Amino acid sequence: MSVAMEDMESAATEAFARREGAGKALAADADKVALACRDMAACFHRGGKLITFGNGQAGTDAAHIAVEFMHPVIIGKRALPAMAISNDPASITEVAAREGYDEVFAHQVAQWAAPDDVALGISPDGQCADVLRGLEVADELGLLTVALTGGYGEAVPESPAVAHVLTARSGDPSVVKEIHVTTYHLLWELVHVFLEQPGLLGPEVIR
Amino acid sequence: MDERESAGMRGLYPFLYAEQTDMDGVLDEVSRSTVEKAHEIVRLRCTVAEACAADVAACAVRMAECFAAGGRLFAFGNGGSSTDALEVATAFAAPSRGRPLPAMSLTSDVAVVTALSNDVGFEVVFARQLAAFGRPGDIAFGLSTSGGSANVVQAFEEAARRGMVTVALAGYEGGRLAELETLDHLFVIPSSSVHRIQEAQTTVYHVLWEVTQHALIHMSKAPDGPVATGTR
Repeated sequence: MSVAMEDMESAATEAFARREGAGKALAADADKVALACRDMAACFHRGGKLITFGNGQAGTDAAHIAVEFMHPVIIGKRALPAMAISNDPASITEVAAREGYDEVFAHQVAQWAAPDDVALGISPDGQCADVLRGLEVADELGLLTVALTGGYGEAVPESPAVAHVLTARSGDPSVVKEIHVTTYHLLWELVHVFLEQPGLLGPEVIR
Repeated sequence: MDERESAGMRGLYPFLYAEQTDMDGVLDEVSRSTVEKAHEIVRLRCTVAEACAADVAACAVRMAECFAAGGRLFAFGNGGSSTDALEVATAFAAPSRGRPLPAMSLTSDVAVVTALSNDVGFEVVFARQLAAFGRPGDIAFGLSTSGGSANVVQAFEEAARRGMVTVALAGYEGGRLAELETLDHLFVIPSSSVHRIQEAQTTVYHVLWEVTQHALIHMSKAPDGPVATGTR
């Protein structure tokens, strides 16, 4: 028995189609996205920076978000300060070995945080203990907290420490990531819409 | 406060109300933009699915054959695409389900990337690593939204010289990657938005991963090995 190419093609077609529901669901969350952008813009306006973190695939998203804000793909948009604390394997492995893996982000958040900062944690299944710890410490320190979640876990989306929760409506981690990519592209683009309205966010203080 | 009184207050103190009106207006505008862009990527994914499903299947089968024969995958890209290269490597090497496969990103080792950039030039950062690692039957997997990144193009040229299977993801009209005759598989996302291109590329490599896993399962059940190119 050998495998027919047409079976592989229908597997591909079926996989592409499986994205549609979650993609459309993002449009239904437009108001939540808008409110998160408004509050993030206010933080940048006051001179805050963005701190991002996540595990595995979500760690690559944290890095993508940081570079998106730091080096905009659209010419003329100003650079906004952002750092992905999941990028530093030396710090991550050191903290993990000494304090336990759940502390890897909380430890770095505590070191870098200033009150006008934004902490953005990504938890594709909604239950990453280390992402939650990072957001909890950020909340204690007075930061604006934003979580990108998905799947069916409740620990992160239900946490009182998280001000804005944007949830991808899928249990498939690959689909969740794809919805997150669109979500953070929108966060970046629409934060600038708020920042570019003269006087909207109060007296100019952004550096 | 009734409506008439409120209107009177607005007349007396417009500056008290202007900010709120502006904020509501911007929130509405931002919500509308979110809805529009969410639908835009859903439509783009449909377009890509229709145009590419057959090629995605063929590419995944080829990649499965490489892995089954002991091949490894090397992923590369710049900026946002470097995070995609990392995700491709992680998706294959440490999957949430299915069989872990040997894959690494050429963007992760800061010592190697800065050494090559400083000593030789940024255009060789991926090509030199492929020259060191690459063997016939390995997979070179490169991403570029523009299709024009010099280091990605050079990497594919090196990969082809080494007999690697080459898989490229690009946007716009494919850029310089579309002119490379040596590419085995090229997926061009037909959009002029860097963001929508990256989002659709993410779907393409996830679907490639999923179908590669399917193909490996089918191949392990089939004593004859490779996948039939025709119909059953």
